[in-house]
Amino acid sequence: MLLSSLLLIPFLGCLALLACPGSPTPGRLRQITIVILVAQLVMSLLTAAQFDPTAAGLQLQEHHRWVPGIGLDYALGVDGLSLPLVLINGALTLVSAVITRDISKRPRLYFAMLLLISGAVNGAFLADNLLLFFLFYELELIPLWLLISVWGGVNRAYAATKFLIFTAISGMLILGAFLGLSLLTGTVDFSLTPVLSERLAMGSQLWLLGAILIGFGIKIPLVPLHNWLPDAHTQASTPVSVLLAGVLLKLGTYGLLRFGLQLFPEAWARLAPALAIWAAVSVLYGSLAAIAQTDMKRMVAYSSVGHMGYVLLAAAADSPVSLLGAVFQMVSHGLISALLFLLVGIVYRKTGTRDLEVLRGLLNPERGLPLTGSLMIVAVMASAGLPGMAGFISEFLVFRGSITAFPLATLLSMVGSGLTAVYFLLLVNRAFFGRLAITPPSGDPAADARLDVQLISVAPRETIPALALAASIVFIGLVPSSLGNLSEVASTAMANLTAGVG
Amino acid sequence: MPVVSQDLVRANLAIDQAEVKRRLLAGETLLADTPDHVLEVVGVLESYGEVLDAYSINLIYQAEAQFLNPFPIFKFLDGDLNPAKIWRHLNHDRINFEYAEYCQKAMFWHATGGMDAYLDSPEFAENCRRILAAKRRRDPLLALLNPLFPAFLPELIRSAATTHALGQFWRVMSDLFLDLAAAEREGRVRSIPQVVDFIKNGLVAAAANPIRYGVEIHGEHFWVLPPEAGLTFLVDVAVPYVEAVFLRGMPFLGTVSFNAQAQQISPDQAKFTYGALYADPLPSMGAGIPPSLLMQDMYRHLPEKLHQWYLERTRGEGDVRVKICMSFQKSMFCVTNAAINGTMPHPLASSDAAAQAANAAYAEAWAQRLGIARTDCLAA
Repeated sequence: MLLSSLLLIPFLGCLALLACPGSPTPGRLRQITIVILVAQLVMSLLTAAQFDPTAAGLQLQEHHRWVPGIGLDYALGVDGLSLPLVLINGALTLVSAVITRDISKRPRLYFAMLLLISGAVNGAFLADNLLLFFLFYELELIPLWLLISVWGGVNRAYAATKFLIFTAISGMLILGAFLGLSLLTGTVDFSLTPVLSERLAMGSQLWLLGAILIGFGIKIPLVPLHNWLPDAHTQASTPVSVLLAGVLLKLGTYGLLRFGLQLFPEAWARLAPALAIWAAVSVLYGSLAAIAQTDMKRMVAYSSVGHMGYVLLAAAADSPVSLLGAVFQMVSHGLISALLFLLVGIVYRKTGTRDLEVLRGLLNPERGLPLTGSLMIVAVMASAGLPGMAGFISEFLVFRGSITAFPLATLLSMVGSGLTAVYFLLLVNRAFFGRLAITPPSGDPAADARLDVQLISVAPRETIPALALAASIVFIGLVPSSLGNLSEVASTAMANLTAGVG
Repeated sequence: MPVVSQDLVRANLAIDQAEVKRRLLAGETLLADTPDHVLEVVGVLESYGEVLDAYSINLIYQAEAQFLNPFPIFKFLDGDLNPAKIWRHLNHDRINFEYAEYCQKAMFWHATGGMDAYLDSPEFAENCRRILAAKRRRDPLLALLNPLFPAFLPELIRSAATTHALGQFWRVMSDLFLDLAAAEREGRVRSIPQVVDFIKNGLVAAAANPIRYGVEIHGEHFWVLPPEAGLTFLVDVAVPYVEAVFLRGMPFLGTVSFNAQAQQISPDQAKFTYGALYADPLPSMGAGIPPSLLMQDMYRHLPEKLHQWYLERTRGEGDVRVKICMSFQKSMFCVTNAAINGTMPHPLASSDAAAQAANAAYAEAWAQRLGIARTDCLAA
């Protein structure tokens, strides 16, 4: 019942918000949503407390027959792979709700959609049935599409439609692979059983895995399937970007590990070298594209493309250490990119622009955004993998676990990690150092110096979510065992699964 | 392209050289006459007066009581060594006397005016010789240093002389600014032209005050700047001070990006434009650099009325030092304005063509220097 509560709380909360009588103010709706999300986070923490990290396999399982005829069961379970993701989902949805301000347009629908996404993501992470996973995977699309297309920027219709088309194709491919597996093995069993695929010929396995890879590759996203992400991020509001980068992309990497690696271990081992190269290309392309950006948000979005490549590299290497690194990378990328988007959002709200050719000197202690700037430096340090922060642990584990299997791809990915420092230093240097100004330099220093910039200061409560994220990034960096203990058994078991096969 | 909100940026249109010249010759004030400007200028000068009082006392104490002291550890304590004061000092609950030293060093380095000429004269060298001869009798360190580096101790004495002279100058200015605040409270000063006039009259009244400096060594009195040198307040100290600190170089830490290696700074000291009238009130070198020690000091003595006025604007207390700096620049334009008016070669009302031409040339020379200063603060 514990796992079901992680679905019931947000779903019932969503219904309650939609059905709640009268016309509550946006502030009141936000408060109600925050209370619901706090309850969800508490239940996630209770789940973590009940979880036995020393045991392999799914725990706290719940199983009810739903539509036996098509093999759809209500089956939930949690393991060391899904638990950390459920936890960051709880935390980041809460952050998204807390940082949502000034929703004047349809606030009721907005907060209901936020809750719906959170519940659907929990469902997808906890589903122990392929069809159930697919249901939740699709369920999260519509609210996200609405969040972008209703509350987004100027080009929101374009970005939202692009997002919908890409992810709908992703969903079709995944469903096709699941149905194909059932069809080819001649069963209506959609439970997560890796042995199923062993009955298939390698050719069929590769086809099905290919569909899974492209399906989840769109969601992650991997180059060249990433095209929807920068647009979606640029047009989405800050809370939605936080959710998108922090949680929703993880559905892709989670799917890759759960339904690619675990479901098709033999075919996976066959494709692994190509996957490692794909990962390196993704990392390098994402990093180089990020360097070319002048919009802060697009830069962070492309950095996501690059950093998600590490997870594919780790999954391709398929060693206990690399898979643990993959879990670490999912969690730390979730926290770091959420922090980056949040801070970019603050900059945008206070200055009206995200253009790196316009912003300068925001670290100014008197008229600028000194705390935001300092937190931005923490975030970019974490993203570039500086020791003492979450990014270092995850990248170290990924590279350490992958270098023996795929030395070239790992070295190329390391170059990508170095490029992270390049583009984020560009960002910090352009936007935060120098003389405070929010207009393009005119070429005349005397004239530039006469622009009197009067930014509205950031209230301390506005930085509380960012401070909390920064603290958790440093905490994971200093006490990696806190996360490692949860996931180590699961990642080792996952690696053994394929070791036996290969 | 995103649209930058207009209320976040205000591009001030600066008045140009021709306008500066016109205002000087027409007898108009450089700073626009508005009630807000009167509040800012009088308020900030009052707090400046309080701070200058402390600076002045300390500079004179340093020049007299810490004269040639090789380790002046307690030089900022004005001779009061009680533990409570030392604790407050270490806790930084104090005036930033360092700022006064920076000004003294700026004045010493830029070295213009009659005092500097005297410091290089044979009479001054003779004064130094006698002082050092008396001092080294009971001071083995000086007895060792002087023969080894004969130019070193005279240079320290020159520095002490500048310190004392600046202390004397600020003594006058402190009283003048506090009187101005009192005059405003009593209703005698109500507009910017009256403020400028009040300061001009104060400067003119003190113009001929003698500048002297003597030290006591083992009970014997020695002149460093003797009365015979004939140094006076206005031409020998006030003008060099304005030249050094208002125009050429003000130690507003972190307000200007100096890059001498990139040839961004003129090798000609006279062409320096880093003074108080040119400084950028927004510190620009990133986080952690104080806008300036002076603003911090003035913040401690801000009159309540002005403080309240600041609290109602932009970030309230958050950027108060930037606001003080902006008001300070306005008030320094008033002081400069008063000094220019007070030193005009001929009365402005003169109908003599030669006098008018001389005035125009004088105003033109000032307009050239002030036209590129931060005149953006002068508008209403």
